[in-house]
Amino acid sequence: MSAASPSATQAPRALRHRRSVRRLTTGQLDDLRRAIAAAQEISDDRGYQRWAGIHGLPLPISCTHHTELFLPWHRAYLYLFEKALQERVPGVTLPWWDWTSNHAEGVPAAYARRRDNGRKNPLFDSPIEPGGRENPRQARTVRSEGSPGALPSPTEVDAVLANPDFLTFQTQLESIHDGVHVWVGGTMESIATAAYDPIFWAHHCMIDRLWYLWQLRHPGAGVPARLLDRALAPFPLTVRQTIEIAGLGYDYAASTAAAEGPGHG
Amino acid sequence: MVEHFTSKPIELPPPDHPFARADLAFYGLDHSGASFEGQVFLDARGVGRDAGPDHRAYVGSFFIFGHGGCFGDVGHCDIPVERDPFDLRPPHQLEPAVRILTVTEPVKALLGRDVEAVKVTVTARTAGRTPANVLAFEKVRLMTYA
Repeated sequence: MSAASPSATQAPRALRHRRSVRRLTTGQLDDLRRAIAAAQEISDDRGYQRWAGIHGLPLPISCTHHTELFLPWHRAYLYLFEKALQERVPGVTLPWWDWTSNHAEGVPAAYARRRDNGRKNPLFDSPIEPGGRENPRQARTVRSEGSPGALPSPTEVDAVLANPDFLTFQTQLESIHDGVHVWVGGTMESIATAAYDPIFWAHHCMIDRLWYLWQLRHPGAGVPARLLDRALAPFPLTVRQTIEIAGLGYDYAASTAAAEGPGHG
Repeated sequence: MVEHFTSKPIELPPPDHPFARADLAFYGLDHSGASFEGQVFLDARGVGRDAGPDHRAYVGSFFIFGHGGCFGDVGHCDIPVERDPFDLRPPHQLEPAVRILTVTEPVKALLGRDVEAVKVTVTARTAGRTPANVLAFEKVRLMTYA
């Protein structure tokens, strides 16, 4: 067991489950909205603008695209952003957007409605600080969705998951990832601004989940050893620390249910 | 940068080299500009830039998530020509990308028609599906695996 793995007694108590955005309960979706809204209200380095800005503008652009660190860097990014959200709403987790299903819906309803129950929906859009804009008029995020049929199909994703080699898998998954950025369009279409759109996090959660599914399918394969001790700047993590998601305290569950035990009394 | 490109012919594997998988790898792709879809066609004689996924020679697409231009001062987006082997900093953000498109069935179909070499055609389309001058790469290679 690696140093990053939780012990057998810690894991069940500490793990949190990331869920499909389409399967969130009303309470889970409300928690997510409260967490994002709270982060958007903070103007210091705990706030939404700071986290979105790490990916793109303002300079430096820190994300890693088209490199061997694409998946590990974004896993670290999501992990730390989720930690920031959990400081606002304890227990909240990022959901994933499964863009291989429900194509007719397009962007999931949770993110597509400007208002929900009479209140502004913080998942619909976000402000962009002046330093994060590609042009001065770009004060809020926008989308320009493609046709629903153009989203990736399960067959395409299965073919990518079948790759036994990590680097080939990563390159092909990144191309699918790029295509979804293009499909959402608008703010999401540029590396410089994409992370300001709240749908960015659900999209990347899906990418991270697919890496996890690939890891389950190819237990003998993995990230090349020469990359394991590479730093994932600006984060205080190395590639090695991103390999096992249980060590980061989360899991991807198709469904979860729980019941209380008898206790120790 | 171009919006439409056709390579010189690339040899297909000979009949005595059976394979289970064929990949087209695009090396040295530029990703400094707008995001785009690269629509790929094999053996597309006379295909124009208006051809799309419904064309008989279309074999798939790769995507590039672009940086959208340079937001720094002069020289900010210049990729260093040489890299010091003792430089432990991450590589420049705009180091070229690789994309790999699996084309097993189209290549087998071409071999079934006794085709020995094919040209690879790529059309780059940005938002709005219009061709755009954002395509630049160094090499395209066909690789097969037993």
